Amino acid sequence: MTESETPVRIRQLEDTDIGGITALDEKIGGQYRPEIWERRIGYYLRRDPEALVVAELDGKVAGFMLGEVRSGEFGLEEPTGWIEVMGVDPDLRGQAIGRRLAERMLSHFQNQGASSVRTLVDETMTEIASFFDSLGFEPAPLRSFVKSL
Amino acid sequence: MNLTKTYIPKKFHQAVVKWQETYLPDYDFLLDNWDRYFPRDTRFELCAFREMGMCNEIECGEQKGSTKFRQAAEMEHQQGLHVLGAVKAQASTEFGSIQQHQLTLARAQEEEEQFWILRMMAEELRHGYQMFHLLLEDDWSAVTDQSGPEMVEEILSMQTGSHILGAFNVDFDSFIDNVTFCALIDRVGKYQLSMQRISAYKPMAESMPQMLREEAFHLAAGVVPLRRWMEKAAQDSVYITTQDIQKAINKWLPRGLEMFGDERGGGTNVRYGLKPMKNAEAQAQYYQEVGKVVRDLNMRFIRARLPELSLAQAESLLEKLLADGGSSRGISLEELISMPHRDFFRRRGVPAFKMVGWAGENFDDVEAYLRHLTVHLPDGYRAGRDFKDYAQMIRRVASAELTGDEAARTMPGLRRVGGVCPCSRAVRWVVEEPDGNGSGGQAQAAR
Ligand SMILES: CC(C)(COP(=O)(O)OP(=O)(O)OC[C@H]1O[C@@H](n2cnc3c(N)ncnc32)[C@H](O)[C@@H]1OP(=O)(O)O)[C@@H](O)C(=O)NCCC(=O)NCCS
Ligand SMILES: [Fe+2]
Ligand SMILES: [Fe+2]
Repeated sequence: MTESETPVRIRQLEDTDIGGITALDEKIGGQYRPEIWERRIGYYLRRDPEALVVAELDGKVAGFMLGEVRSGEFGLEEPTGWIEVMGVDPDLRGQAIGRRLAERMLSHFQNQGASSVRTLVDETMTEIASFFDSLGFEPAPLRSFVKSL
Repeated sequence: MNLTKTYIPKKFHQAVVKWQETYLPDYDFLLDNWDRYFPRDTRFELCAFREMGMCNEIECGEQKGSTKFRQAAEMEHQQGLHVLGAVKAQASTEFGSIQQHQLTLARAQEEEEQFWILRMMAEELRHGYQMFHLLLEDDWSAVTDQSGPEMVEEILSMQTGSHILGAFNVDFDSFIDNVTFCALIDRVGKYQLSMQRISAYKPMAESMPQMLREEAFHLAAGVVPLRRWMEKAAQDSVYITTQDIQKAINKWLPRGLEMFGDERGGGTNVRYGLKPMKNAEAQAQYYQEVGKVVRDLNMRFIRARLPELSLAQAESLLEKLLADGGSSRGISLEELISMPHRDFFRRRGVPAFKMVGWAGENFDDVEAYLRHLTVHLPDGYRAGRDFKDYAQMIRRVASAELTGDEAARTMPGLRRVGGVCPCSRAVRWVVEEPDGNGSGGQAQAAR
């Protein structure tokens, strides 16, 4: 199915999507984590709700993307869009849903005055890296460091 | 986001601050503790925001395509009256909801939930301030004899019982009301604001985007605690039962439905390019959306009660319970939440005073109907003034002393005169447009 044939609607995320996103996360990761999504979506909704996007198919959440514009972090003074959490229904991958979610989020970031968009991808998750690669993202010189506590 | 920030003239700004000191005394506590709960969020500020770069042409109705109005004086007289009515009604709801929330704010069991409500209240104050900005920035003399300062004074002196729309005249009985109100009544607000985003009166349209951003959190401040309570209720918590939540929904949903205005109306707003949808259409979407909230709450309950079920199994259990009633796997339909019929307990619009029961059943006997209501409404509410007013009114309708439409226009009666607003001398009462179909439930200033 090509993008134009997919009857998927891309729209702003709403409070009523908490259940749908929890269900999608469960489908992707195998774990039911309602508290996490209540807290996380509560957090994002009070910051920049227009940045948050879901893909809806037949009344169900088929994909979602959370992020926001921030500045002054990691020495990045200019406003930078951050894509932070996302997921597409495993049964619906490869139908440009992820791309459409990202396009909508990126155009919002641009309206917000962001001159670039960033994300962090686990090196072992090559399919996510390929996804961002296809969207025109390039590896950035900023490296992540971690220390166990 | 392209926002410009403004303030209303100092005298009025100070009047709002004075009002806040009376009705939102925890405001300073909110700001002092902001970083504890919202460490990365921009601090709250009492100001007005206008969104720049919005559509310049009227988006619906008879004047579609022509340039939006920048000033009240440019509009047709009736059109101006509609806009003014909407601005005043909106302002009244913002201040009114703070007065309601304040009543029971301190009773919250969880500090986080309480703090969310407190932030929401501050944002409502900003929304009221935003509407004052519209009243004071423009010259409304072509539309009304009332001066800007008089309109501000009128709104600041309203109290629970003298606000323009019914939902804002009902007292809160417990913190369940704070949360249910956010989930249900702020949701109507979301609809009204989204519709007015296209307003032919450009200053109104420009006021909506930032209010809508804030509204998204208000809905979450309702829905998230409700979801958490459903989880606890499923684990047999002694604090908040699903019956408590059900009764709160029964109390508020009818008022929410009425905020869309009479089901036969709203056409004038569409013709004037002020809203894209008629009342009934917006109301139907709202009812469906609340249905989705209720379904999610039920799923939250089932999954917490029966964690061994998969998502699909829990969904089919819910379907089975909804279809067959009774109980299954130790859960009965009564333990879940259901949507009240949309004509239940109505006092405005087409079903006003029609004695429709919770499940849509019809009653002939008014006393039997009132007894039915007592089963479905919260105890604290039944003991209050609003329910008594309603009962008296419906008895008069039942005895044919008044028609349903006449009774609808009388509610709510003005219960408190005057106010504690330092600048107020008296409340000037406002009444709904008599034909019940132009204003979308918004009121017009009585002169
Ligand atoms: C990554 C993800 C969002 C992609 O969603 P999608 O809807 O399938 O992606 P699209 O169909 O829009 O694909 C867009 C582009 O990415 C590429 N792409 C997507 N998935 C890919 C994969 N697994 N391998 C290689 N390329 C891939 C596509 O080829 C496409 O490129 P093209 O347009 O040049 O042909 C989805 O696979 C997903 O949700 N993965 C799990 C996410 C996750 O683990 N989240 C938790 C951490 S935040
Ligand atoms: Fe508001
Ligand atoms: Fe609100």
